[in-house]
Amino acid sequence: MRQIAMYGKGGIGKSTTTQNLTATLADMGNSILQIGCDPKADSTRMLVGGRRQPTVLDTLREVGAENVTLEEILHEGFKGIKCVEAGGPEPGVGCAGRGVITAIKLLEALGAYDEDLDLVFYDVLGDVVCGGFAMPMREGYAKEIYIVASGEMMALYAANNICKGIVKFAEEGEIRLGGIICNSRNVENELALVEAFSERIGSKLIHFVPRDNIVQQAEIRKKTVIEYDPTCNQADEYRTLARNILENDMFVVPEPITMDELESMMTEFGVVD
Amino acid sequence: MTQTKTERSVTINPGILCQPIGAMQAVLGVHAAIPLVHGSQGCAAYPMRMFNRHFAEPVEIALSSLGEDAAVFGGADNLVKGVHALAARRHPELIAVITTCLSETIGDDIDGILRKIDLPVELVPMHTPSYVGSHVTGYDNAVKALVVKLAEQTGPTDKINITVGLLNPGDIRELKSMLEIMRVKANILTDISETLDAPLRLPRPSFPTGGTTLKEIADTANSLGSIALCKHAGGGAVAYLANKHKVPMILGASPIGVANTDAFLENVSKLVGRPVPEQLRRDRGRLIDAMIDVQFKTVQKKVAIFADPDVASGMARFVHELGMEPSIVATGTTSKEFVKDVQAIASQTGHEIEILSGCDLYGLQEAIKADGVDLLMANTHGKTIADDEGIAFARVGFPVYDRVGYQRRAIIGYNGGINLVDLITNSILEHGDVS
Repeated sequence: MRQIAMYGKGGIGKSTTTQNLTATLADMGNSILQIGCDPKADSTRMLVGGRRQPTVLDTLREVGAENVTLEEILHEGFKGIKCVEAGGPEPGVGCAGRGVITAIKLLEALGAYDEDLDLVFYDVLGDVVCGGFAMPMREGYAKEIYIVASGEMMALYAANNICKGIVKFAEEGEIRLGGIICNSRNVENELALVEAFSERIGSKLIHFVPRDNIVQQAEIRKKTVIEYDPTCNQADEYRTLARNILENDMFVVPEPITMDELESMMTEFGVVD
Repeated sequence: MTQTKTERSVTINPGILCQPIGAMQAVLGVHAAIPLVHGSQGCAAYPMRMFNRHFAEPVEIALSSLGEDAAVFGGADNLVKGVHALAARRHPELIAVITTCLSETIGDDIDGILRKIDLPVELVPMHTPSYVGSHVTGYDNAVKALVVKLAEQTGPTDKINITVGLLNPGDIRELKSMLEIMRVKANILTDISETLDAPLRLPRPSFPTGGTTLKEIADTANSLGSIALCKHAGGGAVAYLANKHKVPMILGASPIGVANTDAFLENVSKLVGRPVPEQLRRDRGRLIDAMIDVQFKTVQKKVAIFADPDVASGMARFVHELGMEPSIVATGTTSKEFVKDVQAIASQTGHEIEILSGCDLYGLQEAIKADGVDLLMANTHGKTIADDEGIAFARVGFPVYDRVGYQRRAIIGYNGGINLVDLITNSILEHGDVS
């Protein structure tokens, strides 16, 4: 069982990319558990056809930790993908980070990590803002991290920050960076920049996912691309991404760069004049 | 020598209690008030046991009982339900919502939540995260929260305000007696003399009689002046009243011993414009007589004092007056003000004092080993240190639960001084007159 966590700047397309990726992997015959670690609870939306499913924490709040059953919180989606949303508090109250910790511990206690699973994916909210959102990186959970980024300054800045988190946990655990996934924003020189950034931090670009309107078209219909139109170009792009991840054997402790280095890199690649 | 921070990265046998416990003690001195701790079980269970043991009294402490779900989703539901249930069952005049590490970390908007509750009871938010300060800070925050919420200017009175700090029912009775002799009316914040040392009479009243009334707290804005007996615990409220309501403030030393009590009575005398009466002069003389009677037992004995900042510095001056040497003066609360106070005592008296601010019991014991003192004055937790080091031990501070009656006897004022003379001398005698 490979456990993989997806991180990246908020709004970069983590959930979209993750769902398209897991749908593709499931289509290839893999047995998958996908856990959304985001209080917005929209990480598995397209896999379950837009249905709002009860989250782990909502269920816990309603029935109490002793009474939660796996059936209540685990829902089968596209091609048998097991979908879970950790959930969290409403904006401005409580502690979402503690929510992630509670949810993952509860899933473990309920036996969600079935031995027959090939892959477990964690789709984690935005930046690693506190210890709670680093939970999937801790001992015994995900050992592979992929960072979704683009050629925009702030996306790379966030990616670099996440690398700092990985370094911290890599010291005492087996967690490694598997690579950078570029979800293209069509900015100038994007491929070269993200490729150079990936190499600079000691990793590699796993795949450059081009921008294609069909992703939005599918999303509006509450479907992943592979379900909506398996024959389109973008579906092939996700297949390449899926294959690159399955065949990936380069797992590194990243070497984050300084803000100055990042800025000069931006200048070098002509994004900033 | 002054040591304010230990170089160790670990605390061994902490010398402080948590902020909420200080706030709870302050609220328990308000008439018909109930502290509602907004936290998890231990935040109320442990302080309750402390109060029971030290004061030998039952106390009522309510709890919003935060669990895992409240930690994640916020504690508003628990708090709102708790306030309503408490108001309906007990009909208190005031509910003080005391925050904890958990509720402060998850960021519950206590003030906002309480503003939306419409009940015929005063609701006072008190912010007491325990990873900041100590029980002393918590007491200070609580008394300040009370005056911020309730103090109201309605026209000048001839009363004075006195914030007590973390002292005992016996101290407040002594304070009241001194004020009565001087014919001074005072708002005492907060008065635990009846609530935490209540007479047992049947039928038992719904709330203990006594305690500071809400009217008295409201009236603090109109007084001739305010005096904090312990500036670390109550000074915040006194300063607030000075800034907001222009009530003159005095942050003197705790009235422990001759000079400090003299200064306190002079301050009261100045505020009300009346001289210190003959009866108090007689009490002063009796204290001095008691001191002279024992001086051959106390003179040149080296003392280590471990207590809350203002009690420790007050006690340091008093043992000096007794002819003893305050070698180590320590407090668990970290405070530059405390260090300055004790440094002033050292330079005025010529003693070389090792000052420990923010120290734990392990640090205290290390200092005692190095200095070789004759007597340790500390709360019950100091007993094992005194035993280990083979030195005399006198119980002062909070908590004292391995002997009965400590909370009934004053340490402040001239009569409190006499009690201390007896306490200190007898502990030296019991130990076999070590010298």
